[in-house]
Amino acid sequence: MKAIIPPYLEKGDTIGIVAPAGFMPIEKMQTCIETLDSWGYNIRLGETTHSNSQNYFSAPDEQRLNDLQQMLDDRNVKAVLCARGGYGTGRIIDQINFKKFRKHPKWVIGFSDITVLHSHIFSNYKIASLHAPMAAAFNDGEFNNPYILSLKDAIEGKPSHYECAPHSFNKNGEVKGQLVGGNLSLVAHLIGTDSDLKTKDKILFLEDVGEYLYNVDRLLLQLKRSGKFDKLAGLIIGGFTDNKDTERPFGKSVYDIIYEQVNDFDFPVCYGFPVSHEKENYALKIGAKYKLAVNNEVSVLQEI
Amino acid sequence: MNRKNFLGTTAALIGGVTIPFKKSFAEGENEKIIYRKPAYLKAGDVVGITAPAGPITPEEIQPAIQVMKSWGYEIQVGDTIGKKDFNLGGTDDERLNDFQKLLDDPKVKAIMCARGGYGSIRIVDRINWTKFRSKPKWIIGFSDITVLHCHIHSNFHTASIHSKMINSFPDNWNTAEPIQIETIISIQDALSGRKMKYSAELNAQNKFGTAEGILVGGNLKTIETLSGTASDIKTEGKILFIEDTGEYLYSIDRMFWNLKRTGKLKNLKGLIIGGFKVKPDDPGEEFGKTVEEIVLEKIKNYKYPVCFNFPVGHQKNNFALKCGVKHRLSVKENEATLIEMI
Repeated sequence: MKAIIPPYLEKGDTIGIVAPAGFMPIEKMQTCIETLDSWGYNIRLGETTHSNSQNYFSAPDEQRLNDLQQMLDDRNVKAVLCARGGYGTGRIIDQINFKKFRKHPKWVIGFSDITVLHSHIFSNYKIASLHAPMAAAFNDGEFNNPYILSLKDAIEGKPSHYECAPHSFNKNGEVKGQLVGGNLSLVAHLIGTDSDLKTKDKILFLEDVGEYLYNVDRLLLQLKRSGKFDKLAGLIIGGFTDNKDTERPFGKSVYDIIYEQVNDFDFPVCYGFPVSHEKENYALKIGAKYKLAVNNEVSVLQEI
Repeated sequence: MNRKNFLGTTAALIGGVTIPFKKSFAEGENEKIIYRKPAYLKAGDVVGITAPAGPITPEEIQPAIQVMKSWGYEIQVGDTIGKKDFNLGGTDDERLNDFQKLLDDPKVKAIMCARGGYGSIRIVDRINWTKFRSKPKWIIGFSDITVLHCHIHSNFHTASIHSKMINSFPDNWNTAEPIQIETIISIQDALSGRKMKYSAELNAQNKFGTAEGILVGGNLKTIETLSGTASDIKTEGKILFIEDTGEYLYSIDRMFWNLKRTGKLKNLKGLIIGGFKVKPDDPGEEFGKTVEEIVLEKIKNYKYPVCFNFPVGHQKNNFALKCGVKHRLSVKENEATLIEMI
């Protein structure tokens, strides 16, 4: 089934910024706000972007829920950018009312913990959303890098064409399908819930950060054992950075681990794609149709 | 009124809405499941030792061998003892073959896993359960071994023992702390068929009530990663026990959301919370909720009893529990007990 693509943004449109998960000081959003402003958008700051929270979360559940709900419901807000991930979206996901959002879809933007929103929205409502850099990625002079600019292009509706260098583990092939995915820990965590990702005939992308190597192995086995790879069209492996290891080393690199779990399947696999918790993090439209072409020279992910 | 007919009528009345019907029907089917218990051990019976997850050395298993021999059991040491493939007790093939050999050997009446760590999940789908199913035997362990308990329980409805493993037997029985002795003796009690009885330290957050049901459970992280797989734990109508170690509070919260959102907390008879050795929050990232608060907010709409501080987990007071066996949980103001039922 074709995904519903929310309207692309025009200059003068309003982007709402919220923090549905962890706390982030407003100073750290400043460059992001200024950059979005320089792109020609108005900014509406949700109350969770400037709370006086003293704990992990940007605000208590109820406030995070209300803030996100207001942005989703307000027809003047054309896109909702999540300031950061962390943890907390899963605590409010079942209480969000998507009624107005379904009637008037808009772009929900973010990654990491925001995988919960992406996965929930696409699995339940077939509405496309944007897996893309969040506020922190604009800092340290990076506001003009190709990954931030890919977000600009995406919300403007320019079809994306991403290339990445070949990797010795790649499995060549060319497939078309809707793109789904996100953070591996969360994709696994959502299995069996109402937000579970459906992967049949899809191109799946995965990334993660700070996981123990044995746990990456276990999470991939969960995906495999729950049938997520059985009818997959293609697989994109992004960055798996800052991995941790046990006292006794696991003895394999993170890509070795992934290769071992997925190599027996027939679908093409692209390793080293720029989607990650690092700077290299292209905007990807979850639910949109893409062509993935992996060959000895280059891997291309192209929106069609 | 016959329950099934009644449900059938309801389903007919509500027409196309089939989901409530299916759910109720599944519950009805559950009642017909026959739960099996392997034969309890007698003097002279053989206990096999194997390492389906992390590695162990021949020296490390000596205290356990001595103690179990003193109970009158013979010991069969599996081929994985002394093997090591990085953090695994041998390669997948070696661990699988060793486990399979002990599983299929009719002389072996119980298999005690050497230790947890990580690795059972890598072999569980390749284990051939045919002989086990026709003549079940006790599988013993916890932590990573939760994979085997859940798999056996959900697929074969066969009881198993959640307890300390080979690596927890005290080096010197004579100088060991009483709690170490008691918990190891509880394994012997479970294996020899004594009715189990436990008492938990009282906790002001306990929810009172009594419940009877089949006991299932284990390590929370392991249970989460079984979700959606062929080894997924089935909790409906049961008493669930949960423990974990070394996790951040936010991660414990997320895992309890997983239990809730996958429907595993909804139709429980009772909930038992064992030890949770929490990884301290990073400075500035204080989660702001206790384990008790994390648990209670997920189940605030449910009425079943909840017992905190239960002596199960990655800790000294980790008593043997029979998974897949009917128990009575009783949580009151002045006592919290779990008793195996006849």
